[in-house]
Amino acid sequence: MKNLLVKEIRLSSHILTYLFLAFTAMTFIPGYPILISAFFICFGIFQTFQNGRETNDVLYTVLLPAEKRDAVKARFAFVCVIQLAAFVLFAVFTALRMTLLGDAAPYAENPMMNSNPVFLAFILIVFAEFNALFVGPFYKTAYKFGRPFIAFITVSMITVGVAEALHHIPGLGFLNTAEKLPVQFAALFVSAALYAALTASSCVKAQRRFDLLDL
Amino acid sequence: MTPLLEVKELVKTYPGFRLGPVSFSVNAGSITGFIGRNGAGKTTTLKSILNIVHPDSGSVSIFGMPVRENEKAVKQRLGYAGGAVDWYPRKKISDIVGVTKLFYENWDDAEYKKYLDVFGLDPGKTPRELSEGMKVKLNLTIALSHKAELLILDEPTSGLDPVSREELLDIFTALRDRGVAVLFSTHITSDLDKCADHVTYIKKGMIVASDTKEAFIDSFAKDGIRPDLEEIMIACEKEDFREKLAR
Repeated sequence: MKNLLVKEIRLSSHILTYLFLAFTAMTFIPGYPILISAFFICFGIFQTFQNGRETNDVLYTVLLPAEKRDAVKARFAFVCVIQLAAFVLFAVFTALRMTLLGDAAPYAENPMMNSNPVFLAFILIVFAEFNALFVGPFYKTAYKFGRPFIAFITVSMITVGVAEALHHIPGLGFLNTAEKLPVQFAALFVSAALYAALTASSCVKAQRRFDLLDL
Repeated sequence: MTPLLEVKELVKTYPGFRLGPVSFSVNAGSITGFIGRNGAGKTTTLKSILNIVHPDSGSVSIFGMPVRENEKAVKQRLGYAGGAVDWYPRKKISDIVGVTKLFYENWDDAEYKKYLDVFGLDPGKTPRELSEGMKVKLNLTIALSHKAELLILDEPTSGLDPVSREELLDIFTALRDRGVAVLFSTHITSDLDKCADHVTYIKKGMIVASDTKEAFIDSFAKDGIRPDLEEIMIACEKEDFREKLAR
């Protein structure tokens, strides 16, 4: 499993997957639907899947003396490593916005989503959607990724829309502030649990599918 | 002698094509040519052996172990090369090998360097910079560096110039002499004339014959005249298009 993860990093991954981590800095853009940045992180990971198809990565992997199920697990592990690296950056930038930049004028009058624990919760929800709608279903064929990616785009854009709309609903304005932090951290905790559950179940399903697949 | 590879009653059905039942075996230190026309089922059979394609029924044992249940252990001891497949065409050979060797318990760096030298491979090159013949040699280098006892090669001589083909056949013969078993599919029968010990002939998904090369040719002899493999294949496969077109 460790060797497969090394293979993911050294042979399978595409450079854009790493470079797109820079999109986490979108957290600082005022007046912008910053949750889109989570989509860009996933789009960066998508480049690794595309690269894998171009370089016969799947066939190379199944010919190695390794379990097919572990090959799927290694890909999920790689995806999670990138997502968690992005999450750490998002968290650091959010902490900066909530402390040092807390009183900055562009954020005080921001009609769009501000970064706070609820923003981080939505980041994890978008990541969970990617893992459940794209990464897992990709292993139905280990080749076709158009339909799963369109499914992810659709659902993640709806999520961005919902996240932007929620704090305009009377009574939910605190979702876009630094108020009621215990409630916000509870939302973050729930979304983290959702991320873990959806990713794990998607991985198990993908392992089963991949094991039965004719390549 | 226990065969190194034993295929028994292998069946795989696709819409419009049925493979099998296919049965044959490969012994240690032998070269088996797996011949048949394009589309006869050679690649499907090899992929089924490697568990890349899942047969509907039948069994495959390699090194005395059922492949399905012992895939990881079996793959430690065999090497596979497809015809024109490029792995990571833009990565350096040294990078590909640097990762690949992590998976093999018997990887031997000294052997790897020896085969790089023997085959004239530059580890700083990428697979896309290699000719078809050199790509096959790269796959062989990797297989031999982890001391593969069985090489399964899918059309390794297709697309090669006559000199490269001749060189490759020489390599197969040298490997056989060192105890390595080689199973290679081809539709170029002259390859087998030069080096095969056994011939397994597949036609429309069914095994026509699987025997030593001599016995195989003898079985097609008429009036004391022994045909060569090409004549046998043409006699078995040729369709009369003149008659069909005249209808």
